[in-house]
Amino acid sequence: MTAARGELIAIEGVTKRYLTSSGPVEALHDVSLSVGEGDFCTLIGPSGCGKSTLLGMLGGLVAPDEGRLLVDGQPVTMPDPRRVATVFQDAGLFPWRTALENVEFGLALQGVPAARRRRTARELLGPLGLSGFAEKYPRELSGGMKQRVAIGRALAIDAKILLMDEPFGALDEQTRVLMGEWLLDIWRRTRKTVIFVTHSLHEALFLSTRVAVMTARPGRIKSMLELSMEYPRSMESAEMAALRAKLWSEIREESLRAMR
Amino acid sequence: MRVLWLRLGLLAALLAVWEVAGNAANPLLAVPPSAVLPALRDLLLLRSYPELPASLWLTLREIGAAYTLAVAAGLGCGFMLGMHRLVGRVWGPMLAALYAVPAVVWYPSLMLFFGLDAASKIAFGFLLGFFPITLAVLAGVRQVNPQLVTVARAYGAGAVTVFRRVMLPSMLFTLVGGLRTGLALCVIGVIVGEILGSKAGMGALINHAYGLLRTADYVALVLVTLVLVVGSDVLASLLERRARRWTE
Repeated sequence: MTAARGELIAIEGVTKRYLTSSGPVEALHDVSLSVGEGDFCTLIGPSGCGKSTLLGMLGGLVAPDEGRLLVDGQPVTMPDPRRVATVFQDAGLFPWRTALENVEFGLALQGVPAARRRRTARELLGPLGLSGFAEKYPRELSGGMKQRVAIGRALAIDAKILLMDEPFGALDEQTRVLMGEWLLDIWRRTRKTVIFVTHSLHEALFLSTRVAVMTARPGRIKSMLELSMEYPRSMESAEMAALRAKLWSEIREESLRAMR
Repeated sequence: MRVLWLRLGLLAALLAVWEVAGNAANPLLAVPPSAVLPALRDLLLLRSYPELPASLWLTLREIGAAYTLAVAAGLGCGFMLGMHRLVGRVWGPMLAALYAVPAVVWYPSLMLFFGLDAASKIAFGFLLGFFPITLAVLAGVRQVNPQLVTVARAYGAGAVTVFRRVMLPSMLFTLVGGLRTGLALCVIGVIVGEILGSKAGMGALINHAYGLLRTADYVALVLVTLVLVVGSDVLASLLERRARRWTE
């Protein structure tokens, strides 16, 4: 399952500094990472370690100060929805669009005719578990449903790469676990390459083929964990418990540094 | 239905009070409805003021010109101040302070600049309508959720698409509200301008009738003007409702 069928994303020596009122802050320092096609690669690390910045760069929304990012061998300079789709932490749905219209958004921007994009969006609502909610507005949906609409919007444009920035971060624990199972199912069916940012050890171990642990600011890749267990994974096995302990000790160290 | 009957009853009661009070007061200063009705008939049949259609048309054109200018300048200034944070921060407070000044203090100098004809009325209507539109655009731009702009950009939206698909729908409520207030104030500005000093238009007729103590004619003219004002507001509220349906 971990077998990467060739490199799809290459991050090469990327550094990013932000200017703040108290001087420049280095968010990322010399980060390099390679992600293969079909990987589910999770970025995990303390708050403020630049995970979201890295995702923003892959999405073409943030430019690096040094280094470069390649997708399919081509440098990322601006958002390219034909190759990369992003799911943001708070769903970011347009309140004046129905669930269906939100799913259609990316296709509408690409100039897909109304009838065709409507059909694509409707077909997606079933697996999203939103069949009866096509005409509902975001304010009428629960947190988990909103996030599924946001994921549907990303899936609709059928890009190879799915960037997910803590997509379940705002949900309660139970919903979160269920959404993880649902996402796993979607990923295994669509074979997207996923870069997933999370704070949850459970999500990282349950979903990923690879986990990159990042250091406290300035963010670097501290270590890389390859996970080869079959899906769906039993979270109670001895192997999983050992991995969990190992992952936690690494993250704990960085989180403590981040708190100082 | 009951509300309608109650409303009609209230209206009848008010007219009755007016009739009694009007009959009791000095007929030069106050007129009862029974005297206004013939005056209104004479007015509408163009017996008392044959220049009524021309005056109405002039006032409407002044309102149209003032509102067009106020909308253009208000949208232009509002978006410029709203999109450029520095410019907005420099000018915003000054704009709010100018808005707080009772606009009528500018009218004498407007008459000096633009003369007694339509131009000074248009300028005054513009001045009144411009501020609420500009401030509504400013407030509207601030309402736009930056997260939604980021989402649209991630999905490939350029500046024009972000404006059309994210900014306009986000601020539509506030924007339409400002445009409606702006229209009401343009109407007031033009009519007040005509009353304060002019040679033609509804305000000039009102001034004439009032100055000659033709009180019944004066009230009839005010009623006609009232229909004009209420009509423009009804039109604006219809547009507003339509805009609301469009965003929802």
